[in-house]
Amino acid sequence: MNTVTVTHHFTASPERVFDAWLDPQTAGKWLFATPTGQMVRVEIDARVGGRFVIVDRRNGEDVEHTGEYLEIDRPRRLVFTFGVPKYSPLFTTVTIDIEPTPSGNEKGWIAILVGLAEHLAEFIAENI
Amino acid sequence: MVEQSAKPLDAVFRALADPTRRAMLRTLAAGEHNIGELAAPFRMSFAAASKHVKVLESAGLVRRRVQGRRQICRIHPAPLAAADNWLHFYRGLWTEQLDRLDALLQAEDRAASKPPRRVSKR
Repeated sequence: MNTVTVTHHFTASPERVFDAWLDPQTAGKWLFATPTGQMVRVEIDARVGGRFVIVDRRNGEDVEHTGEYLEIDRPRRLVFTFGVPKYSPLFTTVTIDIEPTPSGNEKGWIAILVGLAEHLAEFIAENI
Repeated sequence: MVEQSAKPLDAVFRALADPTRRAMLRTLAAGEHNIGELAAPFRMSFAAASKHVKVLESAGLVRRRVQGRRQICRIHPAPLAAADNWLHFYRGLWTEQLDRLDALLQAEDRAASKPPRRVSKR
């Protein structure tokens, strides 16, 4: 199955980028955070088979993000399932690969792969 | 926000995961066709083509009606819009998350490079 891919360049080291996902204190500052929301719960059981629960309070409404870690390979790869049960029963597999950019040593890029087809997106673009 | 049940969308993605079925949908996007016509480009049996059409039908992407001895298929694109919304939502969500992470790491760097009363290690 092909995927939806989002990439982002970071100047920070791969370790810092990687740890930001699994360290509860750091993750609580950005992961599933919203500018006006308030992070009320960050639980991260950072091992394969472990789960995370991140709850952001938005206008008095608690929005829970949850999933399970499938692969933890610091600082190269992190794979987890992800869902927001309040909004959708859909769970997706998210793969984060951190690789150095071809030209620099310190610059990494991140790819988020959501388990969906790229050509699916093209197909949809062509057909609706 | 994406609010829909997983099952219909799963069926749409499963249906679209197959290149033959995508090709059939492209053909149907141009107009109605019967199953024999859909099978023709693939040199597949009527039964095999009918199976593919059934998958598309159960995903809500194709409607079928019987006309005499023929089964006429028509595209029903609404579920594609739901799939598109889904893709759009997730792409947007993760793009935003990565921007936020980058901003946080850069803010940490700035804070570390000008400590108020400490000698900075550079």
